[in-house]
Amino acid sequence: MKKKLTPYSIEKKQVRWGFLFTVPCLVFFAVFSFYPIISAFLTSLTNRDAIRRTYDFIGFQNYTYLFTQSNGGFSLLNSLKATAIFTVGTFVPMVVVSLILAVLIMQLRKPGHSKMFELAYYTPAVLSSVVAATIWMILFQPTGLFNQISNFVMHTSGKDYQWLTNNSMLRASTIIVYFWKYIGYFTILFITGLASIPPTIYEAAIVDGSSRWHTFWKITLPLLKPTVVLVSIMAMLQCLKTFSTQYMFVQGGTAREPIDVITMNIYYTGVVNRRLGRSSAMSIILFLIMLCFTYLQFSTQKGGDDVEY
Amino acid sequence: MKKALIAMLLVLAIAFPMFAQGAVEEDNSPITLEFWTHEDAARAELEDKWIKEFQEIHPNVTVNVTRQSAEKLRELVQTAFASGEGPSFFNLPIENEYQYIEAGRVAPCDYKTLGFKDAADLLDHYQDGMIDAVVYDGDVYGLPLELTNWSIFINKNVFRAAGLDAETDYPKTWEDMVEVSSKIVLRDGDIITRRGFDFRYSYELTYFVPMVEQLGGELNEKEGCVNKDAWVKALTFMQNWGPQGLNLGNSSLTAARKLFNKNNGDIAMANTGLYQESRILTDNPDFYNSGEWMVVPYPVFEDAVKNVAGCYYGHFYMVNADKSEREQKMAWELIKYFLLTEGHAEEYLTNVGLIQPLKTLMNGETYQSMPYSDVFSGDFARSHIVYYGKGAAEIQSAIGSAVKSVMLQGTDPAAAYDALQKNVLEILAD
Repeated sequence: MKKKLTPYSIEKKQVRWGFLFTVPCLVFFAVFSFYPIISAFLTSLTNRDAIRRTYDFIGFQNYTYLFTQSNGGFSLLNSLKATAIFTVGTFVPMVVVSLILAVLIMQLRKPGHSKMFELAYYTPAVLSSVVAATIWMILFQPTGLFNQISNFVMHTSGKDYQWLTNNSMLRASTIIVYFWKYIGYFTILFITGLASIPPTIYEAAIVDGSSRWHTFWKITLPLLKPTVVLVSIMAMLQCLKTFSTQYMFVQGGTAREPIDVITMNIYYTGVVNRRLGRSSAMSIILFLIMLCFTYLQFSTQKGGDDVEY
Repeated sequence: MKKALIAMLLVLAIAFPMFAQGAVEEDNSPITLEFWTHEDAARAELEDKWIKEFQEIHPNVTVNVTRQSAEKLRELVQTAFASGEGPSFFNLPIENEYQYIEAGRVAPCDYKTLGFKDAADLLDHYQDGMIDAVVYDGDVYGLPLELTNWSIFINKNVFRAAGLDAETDYPKTWEDMVEVSSKIVLRDGDIITRRGFDFRYSYELTYFVPMVEQLGGELNEKEGCVNKDAWVKALTFMQNWGPQGLNLGNSSLTAARKLFNKNNGDIAMANTGLYQESRILTDNPDFYNSGEWMVVPYPVFEDAVKNVAGCYYGHFYMVNADKSEREQKMAWELIKYFLLTEGHAEEYLTNVGLIQPLKTLMNGETYQSMPYSDVFSGDFARSHIVYYGKGAAEIQSAIGSAVKSVMLQGTDPAAAYDALQKNVLEILAD
């Protein structure tokens, strides 16, 4: 039953204050997020060109075009495929490896050691994506470090592993750059999650004779579920929005199709080719995809038991 | 009495301005010009000096210069125009600039301010047909900062190191280019450590379309990529050049023209313009003065049906039509000061290597005495301006994609052509 608030009640006062505190956030969201989304949606229903003064309302033609035509050789379907490959190839290993790294770092007994590793893993996240991609492009060059390492590991000599020219290797290269850049960031998030689990639970497990492996699966992982969900949502959204790495690689002369992720296609279609209506339609499609995945992940979380210490 | 005096003063106050016969006062109120251009250190030095001089002549004028990389500038100008915040005047390559004329976003030349009688008089000062790209509905919409074509720069040292004599063994045909590059290239296994030559990938309208034209093909606004055989043959040549073929070079390696000036044995030939000469002088004066470099004409295929050199492209100064008349006029004044002041065209040429297609410049002693200007003139004579029509930027991306797909991904050239033609027709129909 809905609780009726009496005039001048403390609850009513709290509601007022609560609303007042959320107003700046709501205004910020409305101006910088909600308005652009609405504006992009309205633009997606037009044939707006960046430099033409006039444009017409064309309904959902941009959407039908994107799913049926090649967009000058750089189709949306190819971009969806490139984005899916990148997201799955990056997000899954990133969540798993960052969790493993976080657990390993937490096992270190000396705090100085754990801080050193945290710092080392986190440093790439601070570096600009453009700088990171440029550095990695040099490493992936035929005469670069990666071919030398590959030749050493594979016991070959002078073989070009085509890190920037072969389709699969090119995709792997962008995944490596992204993985290297963000693994530390997600490791820190997991460390924060792990640190919030009360040590008394582990002590009880040790007393009960639980092995480390068993403790991890039966205690750590279930209690870490909210962090896992948070990290996986953040990692997935970040992967879906990837741009700088692919853009810098294409600027460096690699083929565009294998790594033509949606954000890059939006950029080329809107900013380079001036088709603002069509690129807005792509943005809305990307927005809906991200919305769906986020909803799915939240639903998965709701399906389980709530975690309480 | 007092009332009558006030009334008389009021009448006089109204009447004096009405019957004033003096000359119209020049508006000397402050004016700010936003000038956006691409980065070029040598040109920046010249233009900054001229802006200073211009501001001394016009103390009420402030000029804010924004310099960005060529790629970035194209996006910046476009985004600014989309939001109605474009600069007072700017320059871009013609294949990106023409759309601004078509869309009515740039103003026709102010002939009077520039010192010409009319459009015909202006055109008469330039080489025949060379600035036709900016003529629209009888008006001229921009003045050329540069008209550039690319020939082949050769490093004689690298030729010698490969046992070749650059003076006699330089490539005259594309088949020669393959042969010479095969002799020069050095590899550690599959990995190229020295290249003979490499193309200017991403500028396919400038270097690749002329190769197709040599074989009888064409790119036009109505039919797209005309003559499949010619296109397939040119794409096959590129496939043979890349890692799937003879492995002589590819688009992911460092651009040839960037390595050329260093003279460190990495590359023997680069496809670039006259401006490279001043860049060699700036980057590596010893190499410039050594006489160990030369320039030769753009090659043709042995079985070419048309003797075409690489396309030339232009950067034109254009004025934003959305700005006030006064701002537009002042922008044209400054453009005139940059380009048409006596001796400036020669300074652009000698200090930056930029060719303005002015009759007085191209027939004058300064141009004729520039090293290898005869080679560039010869290539100009057998070339035409780059495709700048509908969807130029998109078509260039589509051709670039076809070239990379045959070179890097091993796509069959015929299949790559079919996809390219489909994409180009779609762009043109859109």
